[in-house]
Amino acid sequence: MDRLVSEVILMRAVDFGESDRIVHLLSPEVGRLTVIAKGARRSIKRFPGTLDLFNHLRVAVNRRRPGSMAMLEQATLLEPFLGLRVQSARYALASYLLELMDRMAPEGAARPDAQRLFGFVLSALRTLEGATPNARLRVLLELRAFDALGLRPELARCVRCGERPQGRVAFHVADGGVICGAHAGERSEGTLPVHVGTLKVLQQGLEYDYSRLGRLAFGPQALAEARQLLFRFQRFHVGIELRSERFLDESLGWAGLTPEST
Amino acid sequence: MHSSPAMERLVAALKHLPGIGEKSATRLAYFLLGTSDSLLRELSDAIARLKTDTAVCEVCFNLGDRSPCPICSDPRRDTSMICVVEEPADLASVEQSGAFRGLYHVLGGTLSPIDGMGPEALRIEELVARVAAGGVQEVILATNPNAEGDATAHYIADQLEKTEARLSRIAYGMPLGGDLEYADHVTVGRSLENRRDIR
Repeated sequence: MDRLVSEVILMRAVDFGESDRIVHLLSPEVGRLTVIAKGARRSIKRFPGTLDLFNHLRVAVNRRRPGSMAMLEQATLLEPFLGLRVQSARYALASYLLELMDRMAPEGAARPDAQRLFGFVLSALRTLEGATPNARLRVLLELRAFDALGLRPELARCVRCGERPQGRVAFHVADGGVICGAHAGERSEGTLPVHVGTLKVLQQGLEYDYSRLGRLAFGPQALAEARQLLFRFQRFHVGIELRSERFLDESLGWAGLTPEST
Repeated sequence: MHSSPAMERLVAALKHLPGIGEKSATRLAYFLLGTSDSLLRELSDAIARLKTDTAVCEVCFNLGDRSPCPICSDPRRDTSMICVVEEPADLASVEQSGAFRGLYHVLGGTLSPIDGMGPEALRIEELVARVAAGGVQEVILATNPNAEGDATAHYIADQLEKTEARLSRIAYGMPLGGDLEYADHVTVGRSLENRRDIR
């Protein structure tokens, strides 16, 4: 496929040389895609108002040049997500999710994977644009992001025996799932105590429609547990520290977690 | 492989400049080799004195030859207005317009979490302190009209929530010499929202 015409979300744009921009896109056809937009900084006609963070675009990309970066030929603005710019918490959370996708989404992904990732980002941005983000929404969108990346933690059944967890349970970080009471003896340094109620809320967060995520009820204890669980899960399975995390913590009035603090 | 170690050294140094690769560096090096001695001396002297002769204004963070800068120390400027810009180059553009006679505040960038640029990396606290010191009636937020610039403007507006000074944002719309046919729908929509009577 030499010429790709696709919907995309713009995840990052970096100035290149005197007049060009390098643009990171997420496409439902091929996943992450890096293109060069020639003359994007100088010309007021070439890509006017389109190559901006969060923008949902329809683009035409030329991939015929062997050994060189694909070239952006056309871009049409579909949704600008202007609401994400007017509130710091929205801007911070949307930036965080895009950075996660920009760092983790595969280039040349299989179509079903690319469609799942694109669907997540589009839904998350639409949800955020109309929301007042808080720590609960962050936890739920982070969980959905891991799920879209194919890193869904096992919350419903014990990773040892497959039984539904009851009573005193724990989350095994390395195994990425819950350990039931019967296997509590296997708890080690890499496990976190967690209440069944917390797991239930997170499970609902994976199943609910995006429009209902903001209404999911969390108690302070469930939120603290969910936060630690996802933080440790992210550090182990994703393994990167995102640059946008600090600003996000500050925007949500939430002191940052460090591996030591957990 | 270049013709002399001096050429190689110059090409290697030029390649550190933004947007300059091997080919451009080589082209520049050959140009410099063929140019007059007086231009070479002027260029090397200008580069050598760039840092020592440049001062960051302690008030507005503009670049100049002294601090406070000529704008901040000019008694004819309107001290009741502050125009907030991202970089010194933006300040120069506003100055060139001749439409503003107040003072400036250079942020040193925009909020860009993806690039690790948070509020602590910008001169926002200093702006808040300037406004809190009194005498400012209007703060014009002239960051670029893109996602980062808009987000930064709204963040600053939140930080200045308690001030009584008027907070304004530069207008959005069609650029001079622009073409409606090529404009995006958001720009066209905002141009219509911000239209002005012509008689």
